[in-house]
Amino acid sequence: MKKIILLLLVLLSGSLVACSSSDDWDSSKNITLYTRDTSSGTRAGFMEGIGFSEAAEDNSLLAEGYVIKDNTGILTSMKTDEYGIGYVSLASLNDEIKGLQFDGVDPTVANVVNNTYGLKRPFNYVIRSLDDFANDTEKEITLAFIAFLHTSDGADIITNEGAIPLTSTSTWDEIKDDYEVCSLDNSGVTIKFGGSDSIEKIALALTEAFAPKCGNFTPEHDHTGSSDGFKRTQGSEKDGVNYKHVGFASRPFKDSELGSDGTQGQLAWDAIVAIVHLNNEVTNVTAEDLKKIYSGEYTTWDQLIG
Amino acid sequence: MNKTKKWIQEIKNKLHFNSKKEIVDFLVRLIFMISTIVSGSFIIIIIIFIAREGIKPFVTDNDGLGAVNLFRFLTGRVWLTGTTFQSTLYSVGFIIINTIYVAILSLLISMPIGVLTALFIAKIAPTKLSSIMRTVIELLAAIPSIVYGLFGAGVILPFVYNFAKTLGIQSPGGNSVLATVIVLSLMILPTITALSEVAIRSVGKDIEHGSLALGATKTQTHFKVILTSAKSGIFSAAILGIGRALGEATAVSLVAGNAQNGPSFGIFQTTSTLTSTMLQGLKETIGLDYDIRFSVGIVLMIVILITNTLLNYVKRKVGNVNVK
Repeated sequence: MKKIILLLLVLLSGSLVACSSSDDWDSSKNITLYTRDTSSGTRAGFMEGIGFSEAAEDNSLLAEGYVIKDNTGILTSMKTDEYGIGYVSLASLNDEIKGLQFDGVDPTVANVVNNTYGLKRPFNYVIRSLDDFANDTEKEITLAFIAFLHTSDGADIITNEGAIPLTSTSTWDEIKDDYEVCSLDNSGVTIKFGGSDSIEKIALALTEAFAPKCGNFTPEHDHTGSSDGFKRTQGSEKDGVNYKHVGFASRPFKDSELGSDGTQGQLAWDAIVAIVHLNNEVTNVTAEDLKKIYSGEYTTWDQLIG
Repeated sequence: MNKTKKWIQEIKNKLHFNSKKEIVDFLVRLIFMISTIVSGSFIIIIIIFIAREGIKPFVTDNDGLGAVNLFRFLTGRVWLTGTTFQSTLYSVGFIIINTIYVAILSLLISMPIGVLTALFIAKIAPTKLSSIMRTVIELLAAIPSIVYGLFGAGVILPFVYNFAKTLGIQSPGGNSVLATVIVLSLMILPTITALSEVAIRSVGKDIEHGSLALGATKTQTHFKVILTSAKSGIFSAAILGIGRALGEATAVSLVAGNAQNGPSFGIFQTTSTLTSTMLQGLKETIGLDYDIRFSVGIVLMIVILITNTLLNYVKRKVGNVNVK
């Protein structure tokens, strides 16, 4: 028995030694791509951010040999694969892997909030024109909800869902007296939310927390895509059956989507960061680099470093 | 009407109890029957549910996208051509081959190890050691697959990555056929060992003694007499093992790399199995991309059914020697 155990120990230590060999990073090696699957919101945000949005839901446009993993899978793979590149949401970045600068800017929350880090998309909201609500109660609740988005209570919820809220100055308790409608019983009132499906999770979490604070109104969610955010609040479908009180868009509003004063704004940033192994010598990428990597134009790290 | 009356009369006759004991007996049998009906009907409900969802992509026009072509679905070499939610060009042909390939490789690795371990535990090891080993094997068999998956992602992937590196091959983070096969082998090893061990122990002592009396050595007896006598039971172990390998989803999806085209035969290539394909993005997807996963489920059930039938056929061909 002792001999067997000894033998096993020798084998085990031998294999461990073999594993921990650390060679120099070799830029002539091929790039291994890691990506989320086509139903992922992070993937949509990333591909839009690097100007390759046609690949958001189409794997055949990606370079050969990519690996599909979830958020955690990409993170753990980057600890092993010295020649891999992947992307995760900024919230899950840690120091066991290397987050790449984007256009020379470090991927930090501070840089996202001060709008210097570029690989991100805004989460915007739009509400109906102030004179276009069916009654004052609906209007007051909608305005209270928008105010709630900018409180620290709202910011906590947004952070929990993995996005980065804008700076908030007050808590809901401090400002709730400005919104008398929330002290009434609103259980018969339905407020309709729609627009971007990337924001659906955040919107659900926000209304779930806010409804009890504002007379238990009934939030109704129907998220169908960013373009419906404006269309169904102030655009062509604002009086249709699918009208909404609040719409969301996970991109900047287009020129054709500019609403009346004080009805549009931003609630958060969704920042994504390209990550590589700690040994990787690359520190900075541009949108163009990433597009060339993911479309297969660059196949080795040499081509990227140039 | 007459028939019904007759029938009711028959039941009345049958329900005529002579004593309290007979009533209890009848009730107990009734409970058995009800539990059988419940468990049996669940299988039927599941099959109906999967079939209803899984056939939908082929017979409806999928909200204007058009029906999925069944022939292309079963033979193609790319999981999805075109944009998700807008394309119907799904194929699982290469995934079927991948699935069977990794399952057979895993079986090839864990069968010899499992059977030899079983032989050691049942015949060679001292009583104390064999009882300890038996407990260990049972514990291993009870470990949930996600734990094997985490072990695979944390230990096997770096191991395979470094192994490939020493061979001068650049592996995509270790995600590969090899990693999948190692994880699956580890998972089915306890199943095969435990069942083989039971089969080996149930071989009659008289056969063993007969062989030894004829002058065969212990090793000759073990390999030529005991293993041949237990082969039917060992085959059952293989059938259960391969069933687990074919049906494993969580652990595989963590180490396979989820290749979208194939088939992948090279051991350092990324791969995908029917189950890992079903699991991928399942929680976030909708519409046809969701329904098609049920079709993959039907394919998987058919693959498992065919494999088991084949192995059972081989098992019957191989025959049986005086196993008690």
